[in-house]
Amino acid sequence: MTGYLEVSPLGLAVENILFTIAAVAYLLSTAGYLFYIFGKKKLGPWASYLLRFSFLLHTAFLVTRTINAGRIPLVGHFEFGNVFIWACVLFYLWLEWRLQGRDYSVGAFLTPLVVLYLAYLTVAPHLITKINISRAHKPLQPVLQSNWLQIHVSASVLGYACFTLAFAVAIMWLLKTWLHNKAFARNLPEPLILEEYMYRASGIGFLFQSIMIITGAIWADTSWGRYWGWDPKEVWALITWFVFAVYLHARFTRGWRGMRTVMLVIVGWVAMVFTWVGVAWLLTGIHSFG
Amino acid sequence: MHKEKPELSFKELFTAKPVRQILKFLSSMQLGIILLLLLAVISVLATLREHNTAIQSIYRSWWYLGIMAFTALNLLLCTVRRVKPLTRQALYPQKEQSAEAIARMPVKEKVVLAENLPAEKVLALVADAFHRSGLKTEITTGTHGKTVFAQKGVLGFFGSLLSHTGLLIILVGAMYGALTGFELQGGGIAGDRISVPDGNFAVRIMDVWMEYEEDPTVRPRVYSDVSVTEGGREIADGVIAINQPLRFAGNTIYHTTFRYVSDVIMHNVSTGETSMHRVWDRDHLGLDSKGLHIHFLAFFPNFATNEEGVPYSKNYLPENPVLAGIVYDEKEKPQSHVYLYLNDPVTFSTADGEIEVTLTGFQNAVVYTITRNLGRPILVTGALMFVLGLYLSFFLHPRRFWALYDQEQAAVLIGGRSYRSRLMLEQELEQVVKEITRREDE
Ligand code: HEM
Repeated sequence: MTGYLEVSPLGLAVENILFTIAAVAYLLSTAGYLFYIFGKKKLGPWASYLLRFSFLLHTAFLVTRTINAGRIPLVGHFEFGNVFIWACVLFYLWLEWRLQGRDYSVGAFLTPLVVLYLAYLTVAPHLITKINISRAHKPLQPVLQSNWLQIHVSASVLGYACFTLAFAVAIMWLLKTWLHNKAFARNLPEPLILEEYMYRASGIGFLFQSIMIITGAIWADTSWGRYWGWDPKEVWALITWFVFAVYLHARFTRGWRGMRTVMLVIVGWVAMVFTWVGVAWLLTGIHSFG
Repeated sequence: MHKEKPELSFKELFTAKPVRQILKFLSSMQLGIILLLLLAVISVLATLREHNTAIQSIYRSWWYLGIMAFTALNLLLCTVRRVKPLTRQALYPQKEQSAEAIARMPVKEKVVLAENLPAEKVLALVADAFHRSGLKTEITTGTHGKTVFAQKGVLGFFGSLLSHTGLLIILVGAMYGALTGFELQGGGIAGDRISVPDGNFAVRIMDVWMEYEEDPTVRPRVYSDVSVTEGGREIADGVIAINQPLRFAGNTIYHTTFRYVSDVIMHNVSTGETSMHRVWDRDHLGLDSKGLHIHFLAFFPNFATNEEGVPYSKNYLPENPVLAGIVYDEKEKPQSHVYLYLNDPVTFSTADGEIEVTLTGFQNAVVYTITRNLGRPILVTGALMFVLGLYLSFFLHPRRFWALYDQEQAAVLIGGRSYRSRLMLEQELEQVVKEITRREDE
């Protein structure tokens, strides 16, 4: 049994073209941000225009996919990954809007992560046989036909995007403190400011991660007859949550600053990526469709 | 009223030195961080195990649950301990500050005015600027003269309290649910009755039907109509499908999966003896008295074989139903494959003579998970509190400003404190200062 949806050739072509151009545009804007951080200050606003343009194209891609699949594209690695990337860029653009063009340096760390995630969706399956990311349009299995699915997946996408932003800033913090006297590092915000970005992004991410876990439990309760079953995906989501809980408490109540908290954010991000990537290809469980 | 005094009051018991120290340790965040990290590390190690059952056994082990319980105790104690100080901090702020205190604040600004205006007027202007930024503002008179006090996001102080309490309620709900609940698997075809002794009720399956998707290769939805009785009296009824359980009085009947149940007739050609059998996947059917038997493996609604001869079902439409199995001899040695097509008898020569086996029909069967979880309302309450608490924690940033007017220097001294976000505090102060200078120019 195959279980694929039929999609019109035109719809499919539009979808694929939009995806490709959006990916290329993300790549170009990444280059722009990198030039910015290495001293070509004038390129900052241009990189930002390009990123916003890429974001529009990516949005158009998601809309096309929604039309082609006849449902919101939230299931399977490919769709989840795209919405996740889209949310990362959305949060970053929001930060840029808050900064009102004063600084584009975070972009130079966030966009490479976007490219990394894109590479995972497109290149990795060709390099590693175990990874199999299908782009096919599949109808929803009955078990996935639930409103909780949409809330659950939306929350996880938003949470993961926040953690990605926190991780990007953590890397900035490391470079800023290690290379503090290099010209490159001077283009980065002060460590204290970076820590605060990291904290806010992690806090909001933690809220979404919690909503994701709770709505996941509610959904599991209505479809599988249990709200928590210790399957690997659930456990890894919980691990990510524990790590960020430790970080938030250590910073807030123990006054931890600097390296120790940066390390916790990095570990939290690794746990998050493992929940998404590792669990799918290295561990098995009921969640294998996600 | 007079009450007999116990030897050691509750309060004294908890303030006695060693006890107090133990309580302090048990409620400390250090312990909390260690426990949370421990839970994370053990969980990682557990998921890396090979077998699912081995993994599951860790989470059910006394020591894993023990660490959880310890974390809950830690959380309970530290939450209780925080109630009083947090309430004091949130509701009874010190509204006036000295110039020295303001100078020591994490965020501060000195706005020198162009001309020396009366204090009343300046403070009113400052208060208005804060007010415009959306802060609650008041002017108090105290030992240091008049102070403008402005604050916002007081509810944010209670975020962590609410989220911790919510978390504890979730744990209580989970425990209560586990202690008072049960779980059972059962199923059948239309007309069957499943008795649930733990719940003291019985489930009668009235009807089972299948609705195919537009694309018949997609797993169809299976519906069943049930009636639940307790002591012969109907207490609930309804239609059950995937994602559509039937709930009543804390009990839930979930559709877990569906199966095909085949009707098979065995006819002994020599003796004329006939028997009818209801066959589920993986059932055995004895063919003779010596031990020759069929082990049924799968039912295919629309049978086909691929190029390599491997059987599969083209889709879920019942266009070519086939029940497939393997014939074994008495020594469990496989003899041959059997494919029973609808109403197409297959004959076996056995020790008891010629036996004709015919598939005469099939039905849809449902498999349910029947559970009782009385903790659900508690869990939902806890989850709502938890999420609301997180929202208060991370979206409302409690912040406070104090402003004094130094008449001699014609300067407004403003200082701010925040509970979480310093950056936001700076931005806000910047805006207020802008507003003050703008208004002053008017
Ligand atoms: C995984 C479980 C936990 C979650 C989800 C959680 C959640 C939170 C959140 C969201 C905050 C606000 C943090 C911030 O603003 O950065 C907080 C603060 C706090 N947490 Fe937890 N917490 C957990 C476990 C614990 C434990 C085990 C303790 C016990 C020692 C604890 C003690 C505290 C304290 C003392 C604060 C500061 C409270 C305040 O003054 O507002 N938490 N917690």
